Amino acid sequence: MNTCSMYYSKVIGPEWSRVRVVRIEPGLDFPLFCRNCVDAPCITACPNEALFRTSKGIVMVNNKKCTGTGACITACPYSAIHLNPDTGKAIKCIQCGECVKRCPADAIWMSSDQDIENRDGDGEIRKLYEEHEQDLYGRKKQ
Amino acid sequence: MKGVGGTILWINLSTGDIERKQLDASMIRKYLLGAGYLSKIIYDLVPPGTDPLSPQNVLGIASGLLTGSMFPQSSRHVVAALSPLTDVWGESHAAGFWAPELKFAGYDALIFTGASDHPVYLNIKDDNVMLNNARGLWGKDVFETDDILRAQHGKECRTLAIGQAGENLVRMAAVMNDRDRASARAGLGAVMGAKKIKAVCVRGTGKLEVADPSNYLKHMDEFYKRMLENPFTPGRVKYGTTSLVELMQHIGRLPSYNMKQGVFEGYEKISGERITQEFLVKPRADWSCLQRCGRYTTVRKGPYEYIGGSPEFETQSSMGSRCGNDNLESVLYSHHLCNLYGMDTISVGATISWAMEAWDEGLITSDDTGGIDLSWGNHETIVNLTKMIALREGFGDLLAEGSYRAAKKIGRGTEKFVMTVKKQEIAGQEPRAQKSMGLAAVTSARGADHLYAFPVLDEAGFDDEIKKRFGEQYLPEMAERLNPKYKGIMVAECENYMVVVESVGLCKYGTQIPPEFYYDDVALALRIHNGLDFSKRDLEEIGERIVNLNRLFNVRLGITREDDSLPKRLTDEPAPLGPSAGEVVELDQMLDEYYKARGWDMGTGIPLPETLKRLGLENEAKGIVDLS
Repeated sequence: MNTCSMYYSKVIGPEWSRVRVVRIEPGLDFPLFCRNCVDAPCITACPNEALFRTSKGIVMVNNKKCTGTGACITACPYSAIHLNPDTGKAIKCIQCGECVKRCPADAIWMSSDQDIENRDGDGEIRKLYEEHEQDLYGRKKQ
Repeated sequence: MKGVGGTILWINLSTGDIERKQLDASMIRKYLLGAGYLSKIIYDLVPPGTDPLSPQNVLGIASGLLTGSMFPQSSRHVVAALSPLTDVWGESHAAGFWAPELKFAGYDALIFTGASDHPVYLNIKDDNVMLNNARGLWGKDVFETDDILRAQHGKECRTLAIGQAGENLVRMAAVMNDRDRASARAGLGAVMGAKKIKAVCVRGTGKLEVADPSNYLKHMDEFYKRMLENPFTPGRVKYGTTSLVELMQHIGRLPSYNMKQGVFEGYEKISGERITQEFLVKPRADWSCLQRCGRYTTVRKGPYEYIGGSPEFETQSSMGSRCGNDNLESVLYSHHLCNLYGMDTISVGATISWAMEAWDEGLITSDDTGGIDLSWGNHETIVNLTKMIALREGFGDLLAEGSYRAAKKIGRGTEKFVMTVKKQEIAGQEPRAQKSMGLAAVTSARGADHLYAFPVLDEAGFDDEIKKRFGEQYLPEMAERLNPKYKGIMVAECENYMVVVESVGLCKYGTQIPPEFYYDDVALALRIHNGLDFSKRDLEEIGERIVNLNRLFNVRLGITREDDSLPKRLTDEPAPLGPSAGEVVELDQMLDEYYKARGWDMGTGIPLPETLKRLGLENEAKGIVDLS
């Protein structure tokens, strides 16, 4: 979070970060990243068509079009979009990798469903995730 | 100034008035923030004769100048007041996320004066600061308090709270934050209890602007690289401090059976290796922490079932070897109970071990304990007494006073088994196996303590660091653990540096063990984060000033060289067993050298007039030291 807010906004402040980490007791620390959903509800929710997908599949915000309606935030099932408190425009992770390369615990990495399946041979990660899904997002994924 | 909240909240609990005061730039030039700033505020406001548990005591909670920054291990805050355990200067520190959150709300410190007539908690949401009724929280443990406050005010909130121990004015009560982080020493949780302030719930949505945003990440990347490449870091991540059990056993420095000896035959059963293999869920970091010594552990079933934060080496020592207890589940569970009730595991374990030795000697019997069996290693007793102390039930009510007061009350010769300095229990460093730790325990302003100086340069082959800080002429003696020579010089230097570290909000891991970052690095961080220009020499002098002010605080309360003493066991009785057998602490020799290095009177231990003048403490010295 600190890397992100410093890299993009030159300040330290979780509210300026494109990624957030939630702590749920007992013992769960979980980063909330954008997954670039195939059916990205944020894109369709925006009344100004400010969200779009790049050729690499990453959902981005067009700052010129974004007026800070917050419709994307409501639409996102993963709490992965926020408004920058200074600009009032939407911010989200764009997979720049600055935090990944700085994580001292190597706890985050760029991944895909297939990659997670390969790493999670015994299904432990998925089981933990499903157990806490509601806590993380305040609602069940559709 | 950049990188700080900029405001201190003064909360008068008697009237309910809350006042906002700007950070005082001239104070920061003299004392930095954190421990130094509070030293001056409390020195000015708490005169001799104050009852620590009265409304006249002042409780400060302050972050440091770098707290909330990206510098490695920069999450810390300090809690300070006149201590109800030691009756002298009391300060204690913790990591977590609470203090950075306070910064984001715009505040660097909280000063509590007076006392409320009913339980209250402080709720901070950015500019909105309110004292709320805490009747529904009173009687709840620390975890319950955290759950209730975050359910009510939002799960992003961070909480600082006391448990039942603080409410019950247990003299070993801790101030807890983020559930299981503890400002545990000096009994400051009881000061919160006496003031009837149960908790501080904080949510801050602001930001910290830094002085050099263009170069900030570049410098931090360099600091991160150094910290992560330090050979100590992987071990710290893997074991936290728990593997110190094995290391201390190896050098005979593991306090066992109430410090009768420095080796414990059951050490493998309470070892860091065993915790890591059988009970560790994961390491858990605090804000900007690369060392990740925090543990998250669980006992999955049985009478000692729990899941929660820590332990540290200190608990393995105090609840384990010190009580002759090799039942690891009970050690972990006692630690968890101390977190729930909000207590210092060191003093609680050490007080129980005092009672166990007195029982072993036949000086305390079941008539005193209400039928409780205090045999060495009785783990059920240790767990039960931990609860009973927090709730002041039965025999626990006596122990809740700490071992010094409990022994005074019982008498019968139990006093000689009290392992305290200035009424505070000595931590898990058997000083006969490391002489500098014996000296550090007596010179620490807050009573027996290893962290005020944290003199570990003679512990693990830091010869190069000694050469860098002091010069080659002090080798090899200064690096020799059992040699008292040059330890006075070392402890004085370490104290100066460590109070600076506590005043900028950094951790002793990374600055002292391993000694990766030193004054120059702190100065660079203060420059790019706060825009403050301090030289190494400036910072050294500030450290020296803070130590001298803490000393003046204690001198004003009647402390002299006589009080800078260890229990006879450690100075007169040679260690009976293990690698350091035959050793005693040569305290007088080290103290002479220390006072000389400090510029304090050799006979009284009071700072000399020229020392106080050099440090600009003339006003503070008035009425205490004749400066003419």
